[in-house]
Amino acid sequence: MSRRVLELDKIVKTYGTGDSALTVLHGLDIHVEEGEFVGIVGASGSGKTTLMNIIGCLDRPTSGEYCLNGEDVAHLDDDRLSLVRNRSIGFVFQSFNLIAQLTVAENVELPLFYSRTPRRERHQRCLDLIEAVGLGHRTGHYPPQLSGGECQRVAIARALVNQPALLLTDEPTGNLDTKNGEEVLKIFHDLHEQGRTILMVTHNAEIANKLPRVIEMRDGLVLEDTGVGTGCLLSSGVESTAGVVS
Amino acid sequence: MGISRFFEVVALGVKNLLRNKLRSFLTMLGIIFGVASVIAMLSVGAGARHEILSRIQELGVRNVIINSVKPPAEIKPDTTDTQNKDRYGLTFEDADYIANVIPTVETMLRVNRITQRLWYGSKRLEASVLGVEPAYLRMFGLEAGRGRVFTEVDAENFAKVCLVRRGLVAQLETVEDPIGMWLQIGGFPFQVIGVLEDAAFRSHTRKALNIDSTTQEVYIPYETSMRTLGTVTLIERAGSQEFTQVDLDQIVVTTTGESEVLRTSQMLTAALKKLHDRVDYEIVVPLELLKQSEETQRVFNLVMILIASISLLVGGIGIANIMLATITERTKEIGIRRALGARRRDIVLQFLAETTAIAAIGGLLGCLVGIAGILGIVELTNWKAVIAPSYVMLSLVISCTVGVVFGIFPARRAAQMDPITALRFE
Repeated sequence: MSRRVLELDKIVKTYGTGDSALTVLHGLDIHVEEGEFVGIVGASGSGKTTLMNIIGCLDRPTSGEYCLNGEDVAHLDDDRLSLVRNRSIGFVFQSFNLIAQLTVAENVELPLFYSRTPRRERHQRCLDLIEAVGLGHRTGHYPPQLSGGECQRVAIARALVNQPALLLTDEPTGNLDTKNGEEVLKIFHDLHEQGRTILMVTHNAEIANKLPRVIEMRDGLVLEDTGVGTGCLLSSGVESTAGVVS
Repeated sequence: MGISRFFEVVALGVKNLLRNKLRSFLTMLGIIFGVASVIAMLSVGAGARHEILSRIQELGVRNVIINSVKPPAEIKPDTTDTQNKDRYGLTFEDADYIANVIPTVETMLRVNRITQRLWYGSKRLEASVLGVEPAYLRMFGLEAGRGRVFTEVDAENFAKVCLVRRGLVAQLETVEDPIGMWLQIGGFPFQVIGVLEDAAFRSHTRKALNIDSTTQEVYIPYETSMRTLGTVTLIERAGSQEFTQVDLDQIVVTTTGESEVLRTSQMLTAALKKLHDRVDYEIVVPLELLKQSEETQRVFNLVMILIASISLLVGGIGIANIMLATITERTKEIGIRRALGARRRDIVLQFLAETTAIAAIGGLLGCLVGIAGILGIVELTNWKAVIAPSYVMLSLVISCTVGVVFGIFPARRAAQMDPITALRFE
């Protein structure tokens, strides 16, 4: 039996208090095993972003339990959450979120800097990863000098550098053309094959269709879950959602 | 936090500053001027202090100097002398009293001073002849540039020897070697045994020792002076003759210790008040001069510290202001760093490193500007300045402190940002 990486139980998130309180997540349950590649789809306002923030430890649930990689992270303080983000989560954002003033190598190094990895080791590890995403010739360049696809590959290298338990990505191909998007997706599929656990938020039905498992959200609840490691194509329900979105 | 990590954080700060050189430089200006004024203040203050100290040291910290002073003319001397003779000043009784009664006196030096004509062949000069003890020469650092000074042996033998100034020799307009030359003083032949080094006494010292010009003084042994020239000075004025008798023109009292100086001067004041019925003397206490000047110095320092503090305050506010703007500009970066695992204190440290680096570099530049300014001031005026490495250190410590203090508010503000909002910031 594989390890459970993500365990969300009855997650509730409410913004504000009193009359103006707005509940975005209404007791959500999601379990993800190690090595799964899960897509999260849903219309705007379905609570995807809030969920991603909570899973990414950028935000805390109002109530409910959240275990990441066996550790209860629902009630940690800010410092401990920073540590969890640093060690256990790799972010890949739609808009890359690279620091323009740092070189490719320095960007990839950042998580290692905050995990207090010794400098020499840091350098070697990030060079290896940059090589692995095919940008070995670009280490000294600055993000504005790179194409979108290259930027996203740098971001993937940065997300992987601390060997996180979970790779969390939000529309990684949203800002890319088809060709670059496909390349980036291929990297994710390769990573999945290597045994990485990946959670991907996407609007794109075509992309979601190729994922082994898809969770569809609506109004702060899981509408449909294709199930653990089914590897099947999606049920008609999700396809119809995709149709609504596009 | 390890040393290497500390340097890495600092290096990152410096790198960020270099990204916008002009802005960083303008931000530094306040600190530069603040530190420059601190350095200038300290150096000029220390220079003034040093100047005063060396003045005091010239006179001797343990010394109390008593001078005879001609009392104001309207106070008629109550002397019964029928001759037109004025008698005032310190007496031999005073000297005995001081030597025997006052316990804190270690040594006492007497000075007799007579204004006399000095003849060299047919050349005539007005000279101020000082009869001093050999110890006096040593105490005030009177050294022979050529020849020798007189000693206790000369004094005991009432040797008619004298020391002259180089300027006096020049006035005699002779090609003869001054050493061994014979001068007629008050009808007695005196042999020149030494030419004194040009005195570099400060005006202050000259005043306290009652020496007006450096050229006209001729030094002879005190004992010789008493035996030959006596204590009466004859002044010829428009045909009338006027005698003044002053037993002792000066008494230099050396106390047993620096801590006894003030007590001794009080005892001397009391004793002289008792012995004299009018104030025909003055008491100069070098240590007291030091105290007075320190008082003035303190006021000067307070004003300068105030000015320096204000400019450092303004400099610090400038830094805080620019950092607040920078933080808004770099909100996205802060969000990214937070998402990748930077704790709040990592963000605080990052921005503190920047403000401290600004302040430290500003401090260094300020030191350079300050030192250059001092050198300029010293060049243009006759002020004295002392630049010590400790002032540079102090200025750097102060400027780094300013950097930290004024960096904390913006840095904390950066760290308190919500990472989600910061990430979404465009």
